Amino acid sequence: MNADELSRIANRLRLDVVETVHDAGDGHPGPCMSIADIMSVLFFEEMKIDPANPKWAERDRFVLSKGHACPILYAALARKGYFPMEELKGLRSLGSFLQGHPDMKKTPGVDTVSGSLGNGVAIGTGMALGCRMQNIDNYVYVIVGDGEEEEGIIWEAAMAAAKFNLGRLIVFADCNNHQSGGRVTELSSLYPVEDKWNAFHWHVQTIDGHDITAIQNAIAEAKKVTDKPSLIACKTTKGKGIPYMEDNNAWHKRVPTDEEVEIAREALKDKM
Amino acid sequence: MTTKSTREAAMLAIQELAREDDKIVIVSPDAVAAARATKFREEFPDRVIEVGIAEQDAVDIAAGLATTGMKPVVVSYAGFLTMRACEMIRTFVAYPGLNVKFIGLNGGMLGGEREGVTHQFYEDVGILRSMPGVKIICPADAQQAYLAAKAFMEVEGPAYLRLGSGREPEVFPEGTPFEYGKIREVKSYGDDVAIFATGFIMNRAIEALEQLHNEGVNGVLIDVSTVKPMDSAGVAAVLRRTNCAVAVEDHNFYGGMSSAICEVACHFHPSKIRRLGLRDVYPRSGKAAELLDAYGLSVQDIVDAAKDAMVKE
Repeated sequence: MNADELSRIANRLRLDVVETVHDAGDGHPGPCMSIADIMSVLFFEEMKIDPANPKWAERDRFVLSKGHACPILYAALARKGYFPMEELKGLRSLGSFLQGHPDMKKTPGVDTVSGSLGNGVAIGTGMALGCRMQNIDNYVYVIVGDGEEEEGIIWEAAMAAAKFNLGRLIVFADCNNHQSGGRVTELSSLYPVEDKWNAFHWHVQTIDGHDITAIQNAIAEAKKVTDKPSLIACKTTKGKGIPYMEDNNAWHKRVPTDEEVEIAREALKDKM
Repeated sequence: MTTKSTREAAMLAIQELAREDDKIVIVSPDAVAAARATKFREEFPDRVIEVGIAEQDAVDIAAGLATTGMKPVVVSYAGFLTMRACEMIRTFVAYPGLNVKFIGLNGGMLGGEREGVTHQFYEDVGILRSMPGVKIICPADAQQAYLAAKAFMEVEGPAYLRLGSGREPEVFPEGTPFEYGKIREVKSYGDDVAIFATGFIMNRAIEALEQLHNEGVNGVLIDVSTVKPMDSAGVAAVLRRTNCAVAVEDHNFYGGMSSAICEVACHFHPSKIRRLGLRDVYPRSGKAAELLDAYGLSVQDIVDAAKDAMVKE
């Protein structure tokens, strides 16, 4: 698929998120927008998955470590055909299989529980090891937020994955420089984050996380490295694509009004 | 009384099962030696996943492995697993019901007696018992640990095997059966009082039963080797016979086996029950026998508690 088509899908997912959070009356829209382009490349081009067979043993695995961004995961799964689009309205409601954070036992296409921050790299490490031990020819993709890299277990897992030479583990770091309580650069000394992953013996790239071609190229580059796990630091904007949300942390968790939904539709209508 | 290691016995069982099932792997946060898994590693070098001193990582990696169909067994000290990696066990293993097994070493004061409080763990059962879906097994000696390890690997989903120091007294005769999910009558002199005991405090419970018998009190000793799911019907049936009991465990007396027994009693057959465990204190370093005596788990303590339970109020 060409970059323009994938970019349009990313924007379609962005609007899905706005509508889903609006309809459900709850959820985290801002953190979805910064990863929309990565999600589009992964789910609509890169990943070897089969919506008709969500538990296919040979499939690629996906871990949304920053699980609060699950509205966009659910939108991607629905648009891929894992379940009907109208199910998105049920987000966070009793009776829906769309939990407030991802749940592998309730939602088709979800490969793990996630959302308690910091755990996705370790779980992805276990998945990559398990697949390698069973000679499954696949990749494990993880998306972590930048704020959650403040968690110690991220670095425990970084050590382990490097020790095990997990070349099939590819982690995207969504570097939007926001976390729940403010700027990552104000709350921690995480940055420059690439230095840290380098020090843990990962293959590290830095890209514009909204540049579809750059995302595609970075994945291709990561796949060439077979003896090291890969970290792709994606420079992103929280709320990207929705004018009133861009780089505005008030949208970390907030429900758009009817009017705000209309503004989002207007902003994206020619880009989907 | 001879001693034999519950750690070696359990690991031997897992090694035997691993010969038949190539999905079984050990995940170790630098605990291969402690868990007596060196022989396993010699036989299956590619099936020991050593992550370094990182229990949280070990549990999450095990969760990831289990999602792919592997059968990981995470080994570490009881508290490092159930406390440091508590959330990982709860959220990433127990909540999705993944098939990850946990072996906790140094369970109880007796497990890490001379190491002191940092390496003695008497909260592990209470912590895990509060998590939906986690099964908890506390074998009384090495031979039971061997059978318990085999049984727990057969149980689908998360389960915890509580082991001790590796110097546990052999308390049951060769050939003693183990049945997951059921209490077992060890010995009965009569229905005056029941003694419920779990884990490697069993030797003292046996002594107490005999002493009581010599003093004219004829009781029944019950091994509660599965603490969760609790054999409610079995416990209730015992209480209907005795109407009173003492429950003994090497665990803090909140949340463990004795709490579970009382929960059953409340529901099915309210009875006077005296509980013996750590009385909500942190003990000290010391020799095993001295420590148990000092903290209210002597044979005489059990005898006195049993007699007290029999007094009608």
